[in-house]
Amino acid sequence: MSRTVTIEPVTRIEGHARITLQLGDAGQVEDAKFHLTQFRGFEKFCEGRPYREMPALTARTCGICPVSHLLASNKACDHLLSVSIPPTGEKLRRIMNLAQLTQSHALSFFHLSSPDLLMGWDSDPVSRNIFGVMRQEPALAKDGIRLRQIGQTIIEMLGGKKIHPTWVVPGGVNEPLSQEKRDAMLKLLPEALEIAKRTYAFFKTLVPKFKDEADHFGTMPTLFFSLVSPKGNLEHYDGFLRVKDAKGNILEDMVPPWEYERLIGEAVEDFSYMKFPYFKAQGYPKGIYRVGPLARLNNANACGTPYADVALAEFHMLQESGPIASSFHYHYARLVEIIYAIEMMERLLKDPTILDTRVRARARSNRYEGIGVAEAPRGTLMHHYRIDDDGLITWVNLIIATGHNNLAMNQSIRQVADAYVDGNNLQEGMLNRVEAVIRCYDPCLSCASHAFGQMPLAIELKDAAGHIVDTLTRG
Amino acid sequence: MKTLIIGYGSPIRGDDALGPLAADRLEAGVLPRGVEVISRHVLTAELVADLADQDRAIFLDAAVDVEPGEVRCQRLAPDESAVSTMAHFLDPRELLAWCETLYGRAPESYLVTAGGDSFDYASYELTPVAEQAIDKMLEYVNRLVTEACEAPQPS
Repeated sequence: MSRTVTIEPVTRIEGHARITLQLGDAGQVEDAKFHLTQFRGFEKFCEGRPYREMPALTARTCGICPVSHLLASNKACDHLLSVSIPPTGEKLRRIMNLAQLTQSHALSFFHLSSPDLLMGWDSDPVSRNIFGVMRQEPALAKDGIRLRQIGQTIIEMLGGKKIHPTWVVPGGVNEPLSQEKRDAMLKLLPEALEIAKRTYAFFKTLVPKFKDEADHFGTMPTLFFSLVSPKGNLEHYDGFLRVKDAKGNILEDMVPPWEYERLIGEAVEDFSYMKFPYFKAQGYPKGIYRVGPLARLNNANACGTPYADVALAEFHMLQESGPIASSFHYHYARLVEIIYAIEMMERLLKDPTILDTRVRARARSNRYEGIGVAEAPRGTLMHHYRIDDDGLITWVNLIIATGHNNLAMNQSIRQVADAYVDGNNLQEGMLNRVEAVIRCYDPCLSCASHAFGQMPLAIELKDAAGHIVDTLTRG
Repeated sequence: MKTLIIGYGSPIRGDDALGPLAADRLEAGVLPRGVEVISRHVLTAELVADLADQDRAIFLDAAVDVEPGEVRCQRLAPDESAVSTMAHFLDPRELLAWCETLYGRAPESYLVTAGGDSFDYASYELTPVAEQAIDKMLEYVNRLVTEACEAPQPS
């Protein structure tokens, strides 16, 4: 008999989705699907717009990672201009990207995932939320807010407080950094690093408690896809594409970002508005890969900053050998990246050329096609534009970090459902784990679908005939 | 008295930009001592730290539940149950509840909203009726900043 369970508060992911679990005759899980139910439209309504509008337009795709879109879009425009931006302009863009990464990862860890990590997946859902965290671990909650505040402050010092920052522009940035601002930013970073280090130390003490989850939360052999620096190190702004397999073999390396179409195909399914990117060489759906913090750390030879390199070494000790397979460890990877981002911001701000006044190359469009790729907090972000003689957009393709992870997220919920869901006795804690594995990826469904309206998250349990026998809804 | 004014909304969704545009207008003028104005696409968690040491907060937003152009001012109280359906933006009452829970206090707060008429994507302009509403929003803000508030009590 069908029944509906409603849980408040709403789920802790960026956007709205539905999960369906298909049951066999004996009540076992036979299939699991992650549905993005929001309409997708950004690529279409950008057509006809001047290409110089694209950074501001696409930055509004998301309230959490506008800087990522701003940078990928401007990089695509740099490509259209056929310019190399001045080195200081690039360094300033890098700082903004790292500040964005810091605040986005802080939101994911401190505010979206910490209720599960601190209270447990089976705890009372009434208090398993951010207010529960504030009461149980107020210092941790304040640290999360402070880290976000520092990241946002640096972004505002660079880009201004206006909602439509026009500081990053095609060709570079439109204003050099003042010494006063540089010094003010540098003052913030020691506190940020202390917060990041103590949070990382605290989380390391929690990890052994989650062995079961680490074994079942998207623990599967997939490829890993990310940018790496020319030396093969951790990279978030530029560099080259690397694809590594589950055993650690590098399948593709030093691929220029504008050749992404050689590596990636995009499939569509009728149950979701989110596309299903796949690694072309292995076909669809076999060519499953992951992006984001886990993939970046798995792909990087090193971070290149002192504390983050120690943390990276400890990250690799989570498993006996090879790339870390469990998506549960996205949380761990996020904390390592926060440490890296803060250390790297400090290094860049102390660079003797950071106050250089040459920060922008000026040109008109010099080609009809531009591709910009950067690492957003959730993974590799790709903007690809075509323009006409008047500089008007004729075609757009955006591949969003969350989209890259679509196949992996679907496979992950199947694994969690197999391990935890008893179709004959649906419990909230079981379904919370199904959701929690999605939270590991910190999906931004608004970005991935370019949301138009809202839908609550729902989990539907279907019998062998496809009839809904149980539903859990949130929102 | 420290006052933080926060205008929020999407600048590419037509009248949804009422909040940030009203904030921009305020910022372009002369602000009384102790008043700070910021604009945001959405309300996010770090604003809690900015709010924690304020005496008063005024949120500026567009609304869909009032007639286009109609302006409303209401007192806000912290509310843990006012949880947004999306994790990347917060309801102002939830922000105040974060403040109260974490820092033991929340500023006296008001929400000034104006009804929007069009929220189309990729629209950078306000409708005429929304444009006219900005002046009324600013009148409310000026009263709140300069006088004792006469806005409705929390419901």
